[in-house]
Amino acid sequence: MDVKLPRLAEGVDSGVVVSILVSEGQEIKKDQPFIELETQKAVGSIPSPESGTVSKIHVKEGMEIAVGQLLISISTDKDSAVAKPVMGEQTGVQTPVERPAQTRSAPSPTGFEATSTPQAENYRYESKSGATPPAAPSIRKMAADLGIDLTRVKGSESGGRIVLADVRAYIQRLQQRSFEEAKEHPETGRSATTAIPSEPVDFAKWGPIRRERLSPLRRTVSRRMVESWTTIPKINQFDDADITDLLALRKKYAAAFEKKGSRLTLTTFLLKVIAAGLQKHPRANASIDESNNEIIYKDYYHIGVAVDTEGGLIVPVLRDVDKKNLFDLAKELHGLTEKTRQRKASLEELQGGTFTISNQGSIGSGHFTPIIYAPQVAILGVGQGQPKPIVVKENIAIRTMLPLCLAYDHRVLDGADAVRFLKEIITGLESFPEAQVKLK
Amino acid sequence: MEPIKTEIVVLGAGPGGYTAAFYAADRGKTVTLVEQNPRLGGICLNCGCIPSKALLHATEILREAKDSAARGIEFVAPKIDLDKLRAWKESILEKLGQGIKGLAQKRGVQVIHGRGHFEDSRTLRVETTEGQKFVSYDKAIIAVGSKPAMPSAFDLGNKRIMTSTEALEIQDIPNDLLVVGGGYIGMELGTVYADLGSNVVVLEAMPSILTGVDPDLVRPVSRAAQKAFKEIRVNTKVLKMATAGKQIKVTMEIDKQQREELYDRVLVSVGRAPNYADLGLENTRVTKDDKGFIKCNPQQQTDDPDIYAIGDVNGGTLLAHRASKEGRIAVEAMLGEASAFENIVIPAVVYTRPAVAWCGLTETEAKQKNIDIKVAKFLWGASGRALTLDRTDGLTKLIIEPDTERILGVGIAGVNAGELIAEGVLAVEMGATARDIADSVHPHPTLSETLMEAAEVFYGTATHTLAARRESA
Repeated sequence: MDVKLPRLAEGVDSGVVVSILVSEGQEIKKDQPFIELETQKAVGSIPSPESGTVSKIHVKEGMEIAVGQLLISISTDKDSAVAKPVMGEQTGVQTPVERPAQTRSAPSPTGFEATSTPQAENYRYESKSGATPPAAPSIRKMAADLGIDLTRVKGSESGGRIVLADVRAYIQRLQQRSFEEAKEHPETGRSATTAIPSEPVDFAKWGPIRRERLSPLRRTVSRRMVESWTTIPKINQFDDADITDLLALRKKYAAAFEKKGSRLTLTTFLLKVIAAGLQKHPRANASIDESNNEIIYKDYYHIGVAVDTEGGLIVPVLRDVDKKNLFDLAKELHGLTEKTRQRKASLEELQGGTFTISNQGSIGSGHFTPIIYAPQVAILGVGQGQPKPIVVKENIAIRTMLPLCLAYDHRVLDGADAVRFLKEIITGLESFPEAQVKLK
Repeated sequence: MEPIKTEIVVLGAGPGGYTAAFYAADRGKTVTLVEQNPRLGGICLNCGCIPSKALLHATEILREAKDSAARGIEFVAPKIDLDKLRAWKESILEKLGQGIKGLAQKRGVQVIHGRGHFEDSRTLRVETTEGQKFVSYDKAIIAVGSKPAMPSAFDLGNKRIMTSTEALEIQDIPNDLLVVGGGYIGMELGTVYADLGSNVVVLEAMPSILTGVDPDLVRPVSRAAQKAFKEIRVNTKVLKMATAGKQIKVTMEIDKQQREELYDRVLVSVGRAPNYADLGLENTRVTKDDKGFIKCNPQQQTDDPDIYAIGDVNGGTLLAHRASKEGRIAVEAMLGEASAFENIVIPAVVYTRPAVAWCGLTETEAKQKNIDIKVAKFLWGASGRALTLDRTDGLTKLIIEPDTERILGVGIAGVNAGELIAEGVLAVEMGATARDIADSVHPHPTLSETLMEAAEVFYGTATHTLAARRESA
């Protein structure tokens, strides 16, 4: 049987093969993990659906693969009882192609015969009544399993109904195109629209060097950062919050929190204050949908917290921050941070964030300009609180000032909105109500 | 005590729960099904769809016999033996319940009878007659359904004030029955009692019975109910109920005037409420929406990634077949398939006289969402089959997307509408056009022809009606 990449979680349709845990000819048991896959920012293993012998591995380490893509073939007892396939010669199986960076869905390997249905390059189904493309439930299910967007497939039947032949033709066209692009750009194997890497430099000319392969996590971080940097018109808004009183409050209750197995950190306060701020400034919690010219407002407040792990940056998400009290938040934050450091956070726990906090205070940072975690529209960069001479009521006082930088997407937020939002956060920190800290 | 280990536990054995359990077992999972009632089948089988349709069928004969006089066939007055009627109804439920039990056994689905309570996100405690049992699971499906809502103002503890559950038991045939709520449950059970001989009065707070259904589909039902029932009062609210000897004194408000009336029994059918009380949801990460129903994503997954919820507990349209479909989707999602409850056509059927059924986009919805549509309507007065059945009180209509001529929705009022709507569901799911339906030969003489004729009406070429020819057709 052919094992394809199953659907992993909502919104996750691709990943990078970190390691392959089996080899061809090896026995494999049902539920035995055979591939480690990195999706967005979690690493997980894919278990085998059947017991048998691995007859063919169709992917390589480091390869980017999408839902529905063929991973390995297993010959099971059932297979051999009928007709044992000759290794590498199974009908309908071709080596999968690396997907072009610009298409969202990878072409699935197919053994379909060529059909002549013409496909317009940039076809998109549109219905005034908002209906989805006409297609039988069986075709819709197949498209979902393959990760094919049916609005891109032109139907040939009456009323534009999409039938199997149309989907076949579409997939073949995708595959053909990706081969052609690979031929045109043999050095990258990617489409022309992808950034061309800069000229290689021989660093060894000037001294000894050492090369280390980028880990999949590093590559994911890199890809996402480039994406954010190149697509988002960004503004950085600097300010400071006077956290002298907040620190006193923390000191007063820190022991009580510890006693109950929780840790009252500055980030916990920030979470609470930001959630309240987002409720008043819904655009900072929104996303932009440029293809439909719409802003998507989210009536939930899931805040991501950047965590420094051994492998690199990972951002777990705390859900419904607005609905939780400080104690529960503190406890959850502590647990989730630990889990993330051990790379044990589940995919679900890394998804669905609407805003992100990057707190570098513990490492001693000052002001810095964080990069927005797309498709979110804003991120708060937090440095270390430092005692500073500040004018208070015409006198100079020593107050602990927290450096803050709100980076935001100017497509969604205007300067005035952003300043009001940041001021809201500062006021929240400077006058945090003690009642919210008290433990029952 | 060692917990029972299972891959999937399904809580509630209604049409959603047992479908999910069986499907998961068919797909190779170990499944445990937890049900508090001794008989499997849930509300649908025990006090919903099945018993109500049994009674509607039984009592329809009474109506048919009466109508038959005009066609030259007269019967003597019928004798009604309520005990026998109840026993017949019960025998159907028992047969179906045993059937489900047998199917569970054959699939190796372990059934535990008892109340389930979540201890945490991976453990379910079940209170059985033999004491507590613990089920340790990988994934859970909540399918506990709903129960009739009984506003506390009406809840006097008087047995004469009934919900649908008690009304289906038919303790007696009340002389005067008040039905509070003119939704589908009130109208269906009102029909049963009216057929049995009760004077039925239906009160509805909204301006029409069957709120939300397209007005042209409701019209034949109101017209027939006005004859079969004593009265239908819309825009009327019940303010108070009180026990008055062997009767119920009901205070209502009509046109800002208060009125008091006495009834032998009252059926309260004002909606249904989710059944998750005492389920221990607070020990999981499951959350609820602002209407109090369990919140889940299109994969039926709740905010607790290991717990799924299907059917009435999620709110929306409370229909058995929706729950069953959601059950299959939940199982497929657990298996890593790309299934989601999106763009799925869920037909609705109201078993009034005549029946009403619809699927896909309705005219009302199109109007609300400002969607441009064309409606092609065929009245049953021109259907030969409807005339031979002496049931011309019906209509069939197609909701069509103008540019593509695609069928977006179908609405039918008339006898057997529930059976006829299946073709509409297939048409909408397949993305069929009006031309597809018009060009498919339908057998004559049947009511199914009304779908074909409605499609022909769209092109102005219907054989049995005259309509303006469409310019572009």
